[in-house]
Amino acid sequence: MARARTAMHLLVLFPSLTLTAVLAAQAPKAPPAESPARNNPHLGNKESIRSGMALYRVRCADCHGLDAKGYRGPDLTALLGDMPDEKLFQTLRKGVTGTEMPGSTAPDDELLLVIAYLRNMNAASAAEPAPSGNVDNGQRLFAAQCTGCHRIGMRGGHLGPDLSRIGAARSRSALVREIRTPAEWFPPGYETVTLVTKDGQRIRGTRKNEDVFSIQIMDMRERLQGYLKSDLREVIYEKDSLMPAFTAARLNDSDLNDLVGYLTTLRGSDHAVR
Amino acid sequence: MRTLLLVFAASVTLAAQGAAPQVTPQDLLRGLEDPGKWLTYGGDYSGTRHSPLTQLTPENVGQLAAQWTFQTGTLGSFQTTPLVVDGIIYATGFNNHAWAIDARTGRPIWRYRRNLPDDLHTCCGAVNRGFAALGDRLFMTTIDAHLVSLDMKTGDVLWDVELADFKVGYSATVAPLAVKDKIIVGIAGAEFGIRGFIDAYDAQTGQRAWRFYTVASPDDPIGGRTWPPNGDAWQRGGGSIWVTGTYDPQQNTVFFGTGNPGPDYYSNAREGDNLYTASVVALDADTGRLRWHYQFTPHDVHDWDSTQVPVLGELPINGQPRKVVMFANRNGFFYTLDRATGKVIVAKPFVETTWAKEIGPDGRPVLLPGHLPDEEGTKTCPDLGGGTNFMSPSYDPTSRLFFVTARETCATYFAFDQKFKPGEQYESGGTTRPRDQKNFGALRAIDPVTGTMKWEFRYPSVSSSGVLTTAGGLVFAGDGDGNIMAFDSRSGKNLWHYQLGFAMRSTAGTTYMVDGRQYLLVPSGSMLTAFALPEQRTQR
Repeated sequence: MARARTAMHLLVLFPSLTLTAVLAAQAPKAPPAESPARNNPHLGNKESIRSGMALYRVRCADCHGLDAKGYRGPDLTALLGDMPDEKLFQTLRKGVTGTEMPGSTAPDDELLLVIAYLRNMNAASAAEPAPSGNVDNGQRLFAAQCTGCHRIGMRGGHLGPDLSRIGAARSRSALVREIRTPAEWFPPGYETVTLVTKDGQRIRGTRKNEDVFSIQIMDMRERLQGYLKSDLREVIYEKDSLMPAFTAARLNDSDLNDLVGYLTTLRGSDHAVR
Repeated sequence: MRTLLLVFAASVTLAAQGAAPQVTPQDLLRGLEDPGKWLTYGGDYSGTRHSPLTQLTPENVGQLAAQWTFQTGTLGSFQTTPLVVDGIIYATGFNNHAWAIDARTGRPIWRYRRNLPDDLHTCCGAVNRGFAALGDRLFMTTIDAHLVSLDMKTGDVLWDVELADFKVGYSATVAPLAVKDKIIVGIAGAEFGIRGFIDAYDAQTGQRAWRFYTVASPDDPIGGRTWPPNGDAWQRGGGSIWVTGTYDPQQNTVFFGTGNPGPDYYSNAREGDNLYTASVVALDADTGRLRWHYQFTPHDVHDWDSTQVPVLGELPINGQPRKVVMFANRNGFFYTLDRATGKVIVAKPFVETTWAKEIGPDGRPVLLPGHLPDEEGTKTCPDLGGGTNFMSPSYDPTSRLFFVTARETCATYFAFDQKFKPGEQYESGGTTRPRDQKNFGALRAIDPVTGTMKWEFRYPSVSSSGVLTTAGGLVFAGDGDGNIMAFDSRSGKNLWHYQLGFAMRSTAGTTYMVDGRQYLLVPSGSMLTAFALPEQRTQR
């Protein structure tokens, strides 16, 4: 009768959970001397690595990707190279303060299995290249094309997600994917809907919440509004994102590289992820 | 003066001794016939959660309005079914708090609080599913694996017995079942490698009367060979009891659904059918002796506890009335079983099921390939939460429809070998939700004679709400978004809803009469809400 365990024990969950930055922020602290990771019996053990893979896939892969190169969460292959196992163990156990990445109550042995798997993966794979591009040009592009809907700090619109910490929350490949094909994945609360009232008026916006009887949206004028479905003729769930797809014709590869380079510098104002 | 006091004291004592107990075994047999009572988890021994009350109807239920709310003031959510005895509600809550509450006003009368140890082992929260009542006593299992008896008038502890050692992973959440002079309970903790059991205790003394292990030992003539012949896998084979069973007085038999085998996902750790896990067991109520069993999911590897209420009823099968057990199982199939033998009469999926083609003539599922969890992950429908779960269904014998909260879900299941350590979680795997998977929930009405769906009402997200039906022709159920709703039981038309602010999780509505008014009582979050028609509409 395991219930809710899957969610509760996820080691990493959502975009703003910045394992990267947190690990960096915690770097000066020494790990506890008695860390179980100091003598991890699973390192290099073939069977353990397979068990660790299954645990990783259950608890981490949703955000960090099956290949650990990051999906909505950061690229672990780039992060873990210089990190002692004791610190990694501590982060898995305690979670990340100030983010949605929870700690884990799993037995020590399970965390050690995950570490064995990640270490094996790191040895076998090359990390994503370091961010590149003209950051100044990227910032200009962002100001011209993105701030209408996205905020950084206190500036920008509300129709799209806050990107203040996106550099710590996303791998580079995830940023490219979400700029080129934004309809591939909608963050919760940003699905596109059009409400059709009984008199035929159409109201477009992002879906914030919904139940059988009502729906709550942010309309294109950035107003939070609630509607009774009984007052609507139709709720249209759109497949397209409100964000236009920035294809190569709209944003060439060089500009894309600059924009992504700028985005990767955004680490937020939260002390936990600075 | 002294003489006068003695006379007064003696007369009070005599009056107390002469007072009839508030809940007799006969009351329990009468079930919901007394409109002022809700005496056991499922309302009566049949577990139908079907009330004979008729004040609320499809015509007037739209006027239903909140009358009062009770806030626990504690952390954690209700998973309880409150009992109602003579105008007083008895409810258990998170962390083994419990209350007596005025059913007219929601005002608390007494409160019980248990001192729990810090080092509890629970897979799924320190929840509790309710009291049993017998005599002037209440009975509650505790998350540290005890059974306690409380004085119904004061909440004082009368006795407290240990079911098993919580330090190695045992826990208890089930609402006990009072049968004759015994209190029947079950143990939980299969995610920690326990060996499950069902126990009966003397209601007066707390002395154990019998025990039935839900995991067969090697010397068990029926189930002994369904575990690996070498080793001790059976000693940590799981088989939790999460939900209260039902009772057939004529057969003197209790029926309990049993939980998943342990470890949850890793097949190689426990080859064989793994009896009596993921089953329904029919036990002699006096001795605990096994009368029959039916295993819904032999060698379960998807965490599909049969933790549902075995609902008792009588159906026309091939033109003949037949006593049956109805069971909407977590594995996605709905079953109608013969109550005397456990033989399958009907077995049909009530949600999308990809793991089995059908239930064969021998009663075993006809498995489809590719659904054994491994390190790479295999996609199977339903997910670990199942086609339904611990939330109670309801059966309306008038419309002859079985109502269940259904979950349309899929998961990717993973499994791996794991070393067992007492007191540590022992599941050997886990699940994820496939990226393209859109889950949803529904209230479904099933004809238990054929297993076919008669109507459904869909929710945008999955729900864990139980169901209540009434002879007024109503179905009450909650969605996953905090609404309690009323439906016409014959058509499925939604007639009323109210936003509770927290989804009903493993709770269902109950209903009772006080002062001529029919109340609907709904636990959700840390709150009880009582609904009734506006007062003037019920005055005579």
